[in-house]
Parts: sequence; structure tokens; C-alpha cells
Amino acid sequence: MGEPIIQTRGLTINFGGQTAVDHVTLDILPKTFTSIIGPNGAGKTTFFNLISGLLKPSEGNVIFKGQDITAMPSEARVKLGMGRCFQITNVFPQLTALENVRLAVQAKSGVNSIFKHYLKYSELQDRAMEMLKKVNLSDKANSLALNLAHGDKRKLEIAIVLALEPEVLLLDEPTAGMSLEEVPIILDLLAKIKKEGQHTIMLVEHKMDMVLSLSDEIVVLFNGGLLEKGNPEDIMKNEQVQKAYLGGMS
Amino acid sequence: MQQIKTVAPSVRKSLMNNWMLQIIIVVILAVIPFITGRPTQNMLILIFCMSVFAMSYDILLGYTGVISFGHAMFFGIGAYGISIYLANAKATMGNILLATLIALAVSMIISVFIGFLSLRVKNTYYAMITLAFAQVGVILAEKARHITNGYDGMTFRVSSVLMNKMLFYYIALGFLVLSFIFMWKFTTSPTGRVLVAIRENEQRAKFIGFNTLRYKIISTVVAGAMASLAGSMYAIHMRFVSTSVLGVAKTIDALLATVIGGMGNLYGAILGTGIVNFAGEYLSKLAKVHPIFERWYIIFGLLYILIVLFAPQGVIGLIKKITNKIAAKSVKR
Amino acid sequence: MDIFVNLTIAGLSTGMMYYLLSSGLSLIYGLMGVLNFAHGSVFMYGAYAGVLVFGLTGSFTFGIIAAIVVGAIVGYTMERLVISRVYGQHLAQILLTTGLMLVLNELIKIPFGSNILPAFQPEALQSSWQIGEIVIVKYRIFLIIIGLVVATILNAVMAKTKLGMTVRAGVQNPEMVQVLGINIKKVFSFVFILGSALSALGGILMAPALGAINPEIGLMYQMTGFMVVVIGGMGSLTGTLFSSLLVGLASSYTAYVYPDAATAVIVIVMIVVLLIKPSGLFGKGAE
Ligand SMILES: Nc1ncnc2c1ncn2[C@@H]1O[C@H](COP(=O)(O)OP(=O)(O)OP(=O)(O)O)[C@@H](O)[C@H]1O
Ligand SMILES: [Mg+2]
Repeated sequence: MGEPIIQTRGLTINFGGQTAVDHVTLDILPKTFTSIIGPNGAGKTTFFNLISGLLKPSEGNVIFKGQDITAMPSEARVKLGMGRCFQITNVFPQLTALENVRLAVQAKSGVNSIFKHYLKYSELQDRAMEMLKKVNLSDKANSLALNLAHGDKRKLEIAIVLALEPEVLLLDEPTAGMSLEEVPIILDLLAKIKKEGQHTIMLVEHKMDMVLSLSDEIVVLFNGGLLEKGNPEDIMKNEQVQKAYLGGMS
Repeated sequence: MQQIKTVAPSVRKSLMNNWMLQIIIVVILAVIPFITGRPTQNMLILIFCMSVFAMSYDILLGYTGVISFGHAMFFGIGAYGISIYLANAKATMGNILLATLIALAVSMIISVFIGFLSLRVKNTYYAMITLAFAQVGVILAEKARHITNGYDGMTFRVSSVLMNKMLFYYIALGFLVLSFIFMWKFTTSPTGRVLVAIRENEQRAKFIGFNTLRYKIISTVVAGAMASLAGSMYAIHMRFVSTSVLGVAKTIDALLATVIGGMGNLYGAILGTGIVNFAGEYLSKLAKVHPIFERWYIIFGLLYILIVLFAPQGVIGLIKKITNKIAAKSVKR
Repeated sequence: MDIFVNLTIAGLSTGMMYYLLSSGLSLIYGLMGVLNFAHGSVFMYGAYAGVLVFGLTGSFTFGIIAAIVVGAIVGYTMERLVISRVYGQHLAQILLTTGLMLVLNELIKIPFGSNILPAFQPEALQSSWQIGEIVIVKYRIFLIIIGLVVATILNAVMAKTKLGMTVRAGVQNPEMVQVLGINIKKVFSFVFILGSALSALGGILMAPALGAINPEIGLMYQMTGFMVVVIGGMGSLTGTLFSSLLVGLASSYTAYVYPDAATAVIVIVMIVVLLIKPSGLFGKGAE
């Protein structure tokens, strides 16, 4: 496995009086699947915000591929190989699904000419279509993103992020707000991505069956702090975790 | 917000259709000088210049989603570049070109500076800060009375070739066509698409790895450059420049034209400029009949508010809707 | 020394007027995210209403009341009719408030034309105290006192009530706040009424200091207001107060040395602040 791909060192952020993430030190090994669980408000999304650069920590560091990226703007982190899906769907609403993904492909490719028509880069177009196929959305390629069903929007966002070919994939509750029928589709998709073995995946999710079936490792956050970390079996057995989770959920 | 169903047309076919319509319009415009009088020609030359200004504004507003209140500053730099240079040098073609290029360079440098200063905070800051800079521009031009003659304005000569209004009509039309092609190419390039992505969702654009600040600055530089050229053409046409070319009111003219015509497609800016100028001319004539029309700007203001609220695609959007309906009906038959 | 004192008093009183103008701007932006381009127009309407009623009744107090009432009505109408339709859409907000500005600035010309309207100081405040070489104009002291009173009340309201929290939560999640039994629509309207009334109050108090008013003062002072809030930090009332006084003093001193540079100095201060701390002196981080 070798060196950890992501390391956080005493990562902390305060909002006014509240410490949303509290001295979290964590190593993520390359090509592993790590789930982050914890009750609502535990600081999972905020933790992702710190790793991906949406927020700057009050204390501590983020290290990515051996490089301290704490002060790096988010777009540079993406260039280094970090892709992120948001808890609240984050796409380009008035553009077609295909164009949403094509833009990501373009960003990855570094194409930035100012005179050639964008549709003449057919390789970008093809690659985008490929990504849509991968998430089973190719039949909706020409629908505007805002007209897609909720589940399709989530798939679209995953396609956008996959198009970046990121080494690390941060997924914040990809099944949030989804109907029960749609959840297995995302589960299959994640299983497929995991099997391909191209990415290091970090998943925030409340659905425990999904977490248990996918994860190599589970991290439990509670009140901003790192409560426990281990493989799925150990975490399930852990009393403290059960107490925190059940206590927090009730 | 309107929801448009887009069907992916084959690229080439849709481009062909567009070009046909455009060529027809240009041909009509090219014939007009033979069938109309001097006032209409002058009016159209003015509209050609102001259309380029409005299209450049559309790059900011319609494509990038950034509002400027100081865009006239670049127009004014272009205009003053010509007027100050020609007031002090021989009106040769070479000098006119040189003056235009100097103004262009100044505009580009200033737009980088203002863009960097304000766009890295928030896009809303651009609106406030450009307003401040535009005001400073007006004050500076007023203070430099000995050069600019302030609000009363300065006159100057241009080379005799350009005094021929028939010829200049075609030069202005050519300028409009070339500017349109340039901006159309720019906005449909991969870089132009990033601007649209920023307009749609800047956070997402960042999170697919675009350095959005850099792209926004590119947008302001291209817009500033085109505005500067439009200002230079305007100055050559008018042979008169006053501080009003720098003022907020000039920027608001472009804003009104772009919004009324329809944002984000360049055509709207041209159509809007036509509407605003012809309607303005007509309404101010009515003012001589009835004084209530002296305040005709209120009508534009209200129309503009209604369009932003209920028809955000502007007149172009309405036309598209109607033609689509007609097309749908004729298909049924 | 005496000149310095005089200039300082003048600067502070001007700064207080800037505070009235820009606190409303900052409040509406900070709480609701709306950048109100019609704010200067409300300032101008306050000035017209106040000057007119003062002229008719001879009572400056009535003038002030009239300005506040007109400001509140204009603010409420704008919010209900137009701005409430586009909460959360920043681009549309700026476009629409700009439209309102255009319409308001033209409407005022129907009864009053574009020419100037003279504005006088109330008689009781026309005189001044003289201590040695130092001349203290009573009206200036009056302005400083009013500014301090308003700042104190405003800070107390923000601290004691949960207005700030409610409005911010309401913008992010209207349903949620509504569920808690708060009529968020009314709260939004209230913020607009408050901000607009402050601006209008600034208008009538500024008018006598200007000596005459015209429809242009709206946009002119709106620009100053923008620079004040950018320097102080959008949304921070303390920052707005500090920056208002800073801008007032800076332009007062510069105007004495080199009158033409007064506006330029504000712009330069703004540029420096933007380069060093883009979110403003008292602003929170950029994102
Ligand atoms: N920008 C912010 N400003 C202030 N407080 C914040 C901010 N973002 C998050 N918080 C607070 O930090 C805490 C952690 O929030 P976070 O969104 O990270 O939780 P979470 O674990 O993702 O919860 P959920 O499972 O509901 O998504 C919460 O109490 C939240 O209110
Ligand atoms: Mg979360």
C-alpha cells in the first residue's frame, strides 16, 4: 500500500464558539475505500470542506501525496487529483448533462483555446459521453441538468467528478434525498468504481448497509472529533460507537 | 426561469442555418444607404458602434454573469484615445490606427487591474468597484479640462476619407460584422464555455479545476478591449467627445440594451441596441408633442424590470418562443 | 491646531452621515445578501421629502419624520413588489435594484425637474460656538450626536434581538424558520424598511450640509456608500461605522489641503484595503 495519499494533522475549525472539526488526525491509504460516519452535525461535511479547500482550517494541516496543501485553493487541489461530490447536488443547471460532463473533461484536458469551436474537439465530447454511459445516463445526454430527476442529478455529478480522473474521490452522501428504488443503482455504481481500483474513495454516508458492504475502513466522527477508526467488523462491535451513534440519532 | 428543451443538432447544420440568416441581415443593412436618408444612416452607424459596446457588455453579463457599472470607462478610453490624439496630431490613417491601439492597450491593462482587485472577492464587488472607478474616470476627465474640455466636450478632425459618411457606413458595418465574428468565436470556444460554466455555478467550475479568477479576468479583458474599440469607432463617427462617454449612464445604456434584447447570445445585444436607440429617438420626439414623454426613460426602466422578472431571455427569447410555436404548429399540419 | 480641530469635527459629522447611508446598505447585504443599487435613490428621496416638509412646516423635526416615513414606504414597496421575488439570485437582485434606481431617479424629476432644490439648516442649529480660533458649527455637533445615537440603538437591536440570526437562517432556509413560528416575510420586509429609513434619514440630514439637492445625489452618495462598506467589510456594522468615520475624516483633511483629491483619496484607501485584505477591514474571510 505504501505512503498514505491523504493525511490530516490535528485538523481543526471553529465557527464562532463551536468547534465543528476538532483535532482530527487521519491517514488514508491509496486505493482504499474509507467511509466516514457519524450523527447529523458531527462535522463530516465540514471535514470534507477542509480537505477539498472550501474552508481553511483554524489549526492543523492537510497533506496530499506528501505535499502540504493547507493553503492551496480548491481548484489547484482538483488539478492535483482530488474530485468531490457535494451533499447538495452541485451541477451546471442550464447546461445539458453532456455539456456538464464535457466541461469537466475539458478542465482535465487543459484545452483552453479561444477561437476554435468547442464542439470541434470531438474527443472531449466522446469522452464525456463515455462517462455518461458509465453512470447509465447516456439517454439523458441532451436534457438540461435542471430538468433531470433527483437521482439522475446525483449520477450526473458523479459522472462529472469521474471525468476528472481523480486519484481521490470525495463523495458526500451520494444517496441523500434519493428514493429507495434509486439507492441500489448508486450502490452498484460505487461498487463498480471500487472494483476498477483506480481511485481512493472517501464516502460520507448514513446508510449503514451500504457503508458496511463497501468499506475497507470506517471512520467515526462525533462532535467534530475522531471517535473511532477500524475495519467494518470492529466498528460494528465497538460499544462506544454504538452509544455515540444511537445517542446522537435519538 | 425558462426551461428550454435542447435537442442536439448536428453542429454543422445549426451553424449553416445561423449563417444564412445573418448573411441576409447583413445584405439588407448593406442596401439601406441606397434607400434611406442621411439621418437614418447616421443613426445606424451609431447603432453599429453601440451594438459592439453592448455585445462586449454581454460577454460580462450574459456569458460570465458579472455586472459592471464602469464598462463605459473602456468605451471612454477608446473615444478619448482618438480625440486627444487627433486634437494634437495630424489626422492621418496611421495616427488614427495608432491612437486606437494605444487606447486598446490602456483599456486592457486597466481591466486586468480592476478585475483582479474586485473579482477575487466576490462577483458582486465588481459591480460596486467598477461604479467607483467609472466615477473617478469622469472626475479625472473633468479635471483635465485643458485637454478634454470636460462636459462641454472636444471636437477634432479625422482624415477626409472617414468624413465620407457613405463610406464610413460600410466601415462601421464591417466593424460590427468582424466584432461579432470575433466575439462569437470567443464565446463558443472552450474558454468561452468556461465563462458560461462560471455563470451557471462558479463553485462547481472551481471544483472541476478551473481557475475561475483567471477566466473572469480574461472575460473582463476581452470585454474591455471590444468596448475600447467601439469607443474609438464612435469617436471617429461623432468627431466630438465629452465626459458623458465615460459616465454610468453610458454603461446603463448597454445594460438596458443587453437585457431588453436578451442576454447571453450576442444577437440580443444588437437587437436591444436597435430597440433602445430607435425607441429613444421616437419617444424623445413625442416629448415635443406632450411633455410627459420627456420622462420616457421611465418606460425603459419599467420595461427592463418586467423583462428581468418575467422574460429573462429578453426579446430574442420571446421571438424564439413564437417561432418555435409556429414551427410546431406547421409540423402538426 | 484650531484648523485641525475644525476639520476633525467636520470629518466626523460627514462620517456620521456616511454611516447612516451605508449602515442600511451593509445591513441589507450582510443579512440578506442583497446588494441594493436603489439605496442611493432612497437617500435622495429622504432628502427631498425632508427638505420639502421642512420648507412647508418650518419644523426640521417634521422634515426628519417625513424623510424616515418616505424612506420606509419606498423601501417596503421595493421589497414587496420586486426584490422579494428574487431572494437568493444575486445577479437578478442587482439587475432589478438597478432598474428601480432608474425608475426612482426619473420619477422624482416629474414634480421637481432636474434642477437643484436649496436646503437650509434649521435656525436653532445655524449658529456656532467659538472657542478661541476654533469654530464649532452647531449643526455638525447635532449630526455627530444623531449618528452616535443611531449607532448605539442599532448595535443594541442587533445584540439584544435575534434579528441577525433569524434573517440569516431565513435566507438559507425559509421553510425552517417559518416552521419555528416566525413570519420570515415580515422580518425581511422589516430589514428593508429599517435599512431604507436609515438611508433616508441620512439624506435629510445631509441636505443642509450640502446646501442644495438634486436627483444626482442619489447615485453620487451611493458610490461613497459602496466604498465605505467595501473598506469596512460588507455586513459588519462595526466595520461600517469605523470606515465611515475614516472616510469622513480622510476626505475632510484632504479637501482642506487639495480639494480635488477628496474622492481620489477614498478610492485609494479602498484599493489599498482590497489589495491587503479583500474582505474589508472588519470583514470575515473571502468565502
Ligand atoms: N459555515 C458554517 N458556519 C457555521 N457553522 C457551521 C458551518 N458549517 C457547518 N457548521 C456547523 O458545524 C457542525 C457540523 O456540520 P456538518 O455539516 O459538517 O455536519 P455533518 O456531519 O455533515 O452532518 P449531516 O450528516 O447532517 O450532513 C454543525 O453543527 C453545523 O451547524
Ligand atoms: Mg453533511
